[in-house]
Amino acid sequence: MRRAVILLIVFGLVELLRPLGSAGYGSQALLTFGFLILAAYTVGEVAKAMRGPAVVGYMVAGMVFGPAALGTVSEAALTRLEPVSALAVALIAFLAGAELRWEELRDRGITLLKVMTAELLLGFVALSAALYAAHDYVPFMRELPTPQVIAVAVLVASIAIVHSPAVTMALLTETHARGPVARTTLGVVLLTDVVVVLLFSGTLTLARALAPSTQSAGVSVGGISWEILGALLVGLLLGGAVAVYLRFVGEELLLFAVVAAFLGSEVARLAHVEAVLTLLTTGFVAENLSQRQRGKALRHAMERSAAPVFVVFFALSGATIDVMAVAVLLPVLLPLIVVRAAAIWAGTRLGGRWARLPREISGNVWLGLVSQAGVAIGLASVVAEVFPTFGTQLRTLLLALIALNQLVGPILFRRALIQSGEVPAARGALRHPVAAADPT
Amino acid sequence: MTSGLTLVAVVAAGYLAARVAAGALARRFLIVSGAEYLILGVLLGPRVSGLISANVIDSFGPFITLAIGWMGAVIGSEFHLKRMLRFRGELYQVAFIEAVLVVAIVGGAMLAILTRLFDVPLLDALAPAASLGAIAVTTSASGIALAARRLARDRAARTPLLRQLQVTGGMDAAVGVLAFGIVLCIVHVPPPGDIRPPTPTEWAVITIGIGVVGGILYHLFLGGERDPDRLFVALAAAITLASGTAAYARLSPLLPTMLIGAILANTARNRHEIGLVLHRVQHPLYLVLLIFAGAAWRVPGRLWVLPIVAFILIRMLAKMWSARIATRLSGMSGALGRDWGLALIGQGSLAAAIALNYRIFDDSDLSNVVFTAALVSVLATDLLSARFVRAVVRRHHRRGGLAAAGAPER
Repeated sequence: MRRAVILLIVFGLVELLRPLGSAGYGSQALLTFGFLILAAYTVGEVAKAMRGPAVVGYMVAGMVFGPAALGTVSEAALTRLEPVSALAVALIAFLAGAELRWEELRDRGITLLKVMTAELLLGFVALSAALYAAHDYVPFMRELPTPQVIAVAVLVASIAIVHSPAVTMALLTETHARGPVARTTLGVVLLTDVVVVLLFSGTLTLARALAPSTQSAGVSVGGISWEILGALLVGLLLGGAVAVYLRFVGEELLLFAVVAAFLGSEVARLAHVEAVLTLLTTGFVAENLSQRQRGKALRHAMERSAAPVFVVFFALSGATIDVMAVAVLLPVLLPLIVVRAAAIWAGTRLGGRWARLPREISGNVWLGLVSQAGVAIGLASVVAEVFPTFGTQLRTLLLALIALNQLVGPILFRRALIQSGEVPAARGALRHPVAAADPT
Repeated sequence: MTSGLTLVAVVAAGYLAARVAAGALARRFLIVSGAEYLILGVLLGPRVSGLISANVIDSFGPFITLAIGWMGAVIGSEFHLKRMLRFRGELYQVAFIEAVLVVAIVGGAMLAILTRLFDVPLLDALAPAASLGAIAVTTSASGIALAARRLARDRAARTPLLRQLQVTGGMDAAVGVLAFGIVLCIVHVPPPGDIRPPTPTEWAVITIGIGVVGGILYHLFLGGERDPDRLFVALAAAITLASGTAAYARLSPLLPTMLIGAILANTARNRHEIGLVLHRVQHPLYLVLLIFAGAAWRVPGRLWVLPIVAFILIRMLAKMWSARIATRLSGMSGALGRDWGLALIGQGSLAAAIALNYRIFDDSDLSNVVFTAALVSVLATDLLSARFVRAVVRRHHRRGGLAAAGAPER
């Protein structure tokens, strides 16, 4: 409460000083950025006090003070802060990749693949069908001919099934959760990140056949395949370089991690490969090629810097959410969210049974798969670029869907982690912790 | 290759090379690390290789302002009154007189040179001359710290002169930051729009207000927070906001953040943790600052070589004379000797920060002269600053004048 009052005073003082200044040399971006971090931190603390995840607080702060609401953080400031956001995404992906151990993938890879396959396929089919069935209620789909409706439905479905490594990592860092639900969720989320880009390339080809685009340039199947394979290649090289650094220098790990993440995202941009996948691979290769102690040191250095990175990333993500657009599309979005969540639940249960995963685990993992961010936003922008006729409206629909899932997802995942007894602070209150049911 | 990628690659490689080289040099030859990053910046900048373009410098503007603000907070956090009161008042008296005299001598001399020899109108010459005075007073804190660490092994470290140098280094930084903060209040450009432009006094109140109100509010905001991650987020937000606010109002971020650092150091129960957090990211930010200071440099016309050389010479003389006068006025000649001002010759990253801050607000030829003078002075003196300190302290110790005067530390 005290912090909220101080935040309000600071807000008043900042507004008071506004007429006295001018936005030169990025000073306005810095001013609003400082305020946004302070606001995100405060609202995050409020969210924690209400037993919710801090990341939701960060996003709410971004939404409230962002251009769509109070406008303390302007569009221009957000544009100026894009590199900061990109760096945060890169660091999160790097950290997520470093969390995966080769031994774990070898031991649980088949289980993860089965859960992911069932969940993705069911999600894709259910969402495509739901959107096709409800296309009369979606403003821009009403007038489209049937082939284009199918095209839009499969495109939305292929993007809506994407999960969020950032939210997963943020929650795991915030709660210090360790256990089979945490590990399975992280594994499925990271694997999905790779597979979903492939699936998207397929649906994009189908959509192009059904609704020929005027934009021939830009995205092709070959291009998207390169995005994945190139990302793996660049990540492999960069990860190898990081491992060499750890072996022969091993100093200034935090600074080095930041530089490696920045370098990775810049190389990915230049090579036109998927940035998140590049950094995931970099983190994975660096961690698994290095000696255990050195890899651990790098991971710890990054984990120490993770808290501020998450505040920055989620506050800036929140600031980009267009509250009005979400509100207008709410009648369409709510059924989609329910169908998506139900499909994830059913798919995870089905996959869990297929992989002989204990019900206690598969019953909680699905809650960690609801969140969306990052990659999904990028794919939505690709659609807008390829289909100029309805792409912009489709992008708005997708961004609104992602925004809501981004807000609801962390709450559900936190609940799952607590429910499964994997959060150290909440342990003891549960009678049947899932950790006891871990088959590995 | 994009400029951003080039920048990262070169800065990373340069940093690592400089770190390895500087670490070895510092250990072996007592050479302070810092100036090499300035040279790296000059080499990467638009005037030499062009790897860091003017656009990149502009896009990194917020980071540079943040680095300047962070430096202010680190300086302020050193002013812990309880610790400061452990030393005799004479130490502060000497340091204060020395600092004020240097600002006055260098500022006055540069004003005379600019107005008389270069026919710059008095009003136009006031800000650059005063800024040069503020830059001149700063002393390389890392040089004194490095020498102190090295001298800790022998008896020379026990001399009150070393303590005097440490106190003077802090006082010089505070006076330099304060003087520069006031300069920007005096030469402030009227804000856009129809509002009445605030007077210099009002700008000064706003500058100090950002620091004092910010410090108090952040003290209340942080409370007893001890978790390093949460403390880092809150503190980084506070410094970012204060630096951004000051820069947005076209004021120096150094003064408000120095006040915030000082207030937090004196009022917070978790001052130790705050200090650790502030120092954790200090080094990378200094690196960014020095590299961009070097990159932002522009070759001044031949005409301006004279005031640059004059600044460096006048500063050296002013440092030595002021130290001598301050010692005499405070009756400390016996304890400190006559030539201890030589140990204050070194200039470090604060001088570059003030100069860069001035350059951000004023892109004229005169501001480039100020900027160049500061960079040349840092390049000329920073590397060897620790050696100056060690030489003066050892010579003083050998003379044995201290034992007679007694240790001034309580």
